[in-house]
Amino acid sequence: MILQRAFPMLLSSICLTLVMGCGTFKSALYDQHSYQKAVEIKVDAARLMDKASEPYSNHTQHAEEVLAELDKMVIYEANKPNNSISLRMWKILADSDKNLLAGFIKKWEADGTLNPILVSEAQSQVAEAFDLLIQYEGKKEKATEDSLITLILKKE
Amino acid sequence: MDIDAIIRELKGTLLNTLGDHYDGFKKATKADLEAFLKASEGKLSRWTMLLANGDLSIDDYEWLVQSQKDLMEMKALQQMGISKISLGHFKNKVVKTLVGIIKGLLL
Repeated sequence: MILQRAFPMLLSSICLTLVMGCGTFKSALYDQHSYQKAVEIKVDAARLMDKASEPYSNHTQHAEEVLAELDKMVIYEANKPNNSISLRMWKILADSDKNLLAGFIKKWEADGTLNPILVSEAQSQVAEAFDLLIQYEGKKEKATEDSLITLILKKE
Repeated sequence: MDIDAIIRELKGTLLNTLGDHYDGFKKATKADLEAFLKASEGKLSRWTMLLANGDLSIDDYEWLVQSQKDLMEMKALQQMGISKISLGHFKNKVVKTLVGIIKGLLL
């Protein structure tokens, strides 16, 4: 009898513990803007990198535009709650001391022109980095969809 | 160039980024990371060949190796994020099931 009474309390305590600990597992919801910008910047970056065998000075404006887009995304992602992973990924791309997109532009600017073989290899690296970001954002879509369905079902 | 040493360094980056999370990963996630390391090996071999043939300078070669290290960090972050999403789902299901049981017992 005592056990029967205590059981719901025990289950409630487990639920409460799980709910309280939810913050640890929270991640930002899917964001169409983030997804779209990642795709757009990936395409734009590939176009810019295509020209890296030519003098940097001929493409300064385009390079600065791409860097500005990256910086905007870092600020955008930084202001979303529970978004530390996406933010860290964007920061790697935008960090000129790392060797992905911003780092490539920094090297191009420093060297003037780049070896076409390096350009081609670096393009694959940067494209792969964007794909990781895009795939991750895509995974959030399923999570967001599930939360919305749960919410709608609760309201019905 | 000692490709094995570079691969060991890449693995180090991976484990450093993941920290304690790695042990909790599912088999599929670990397999995905292993596949990524395998792909890294392929790239390193190709770059080493290009370096040996004089198609890449040592500076460019080092730049690419470092880029793979940065990519490895991004891969680790991505896997950590995906596993966080799955854990969140699992937790929600557990809470729902427990709430259902409590309801059944109380009503």
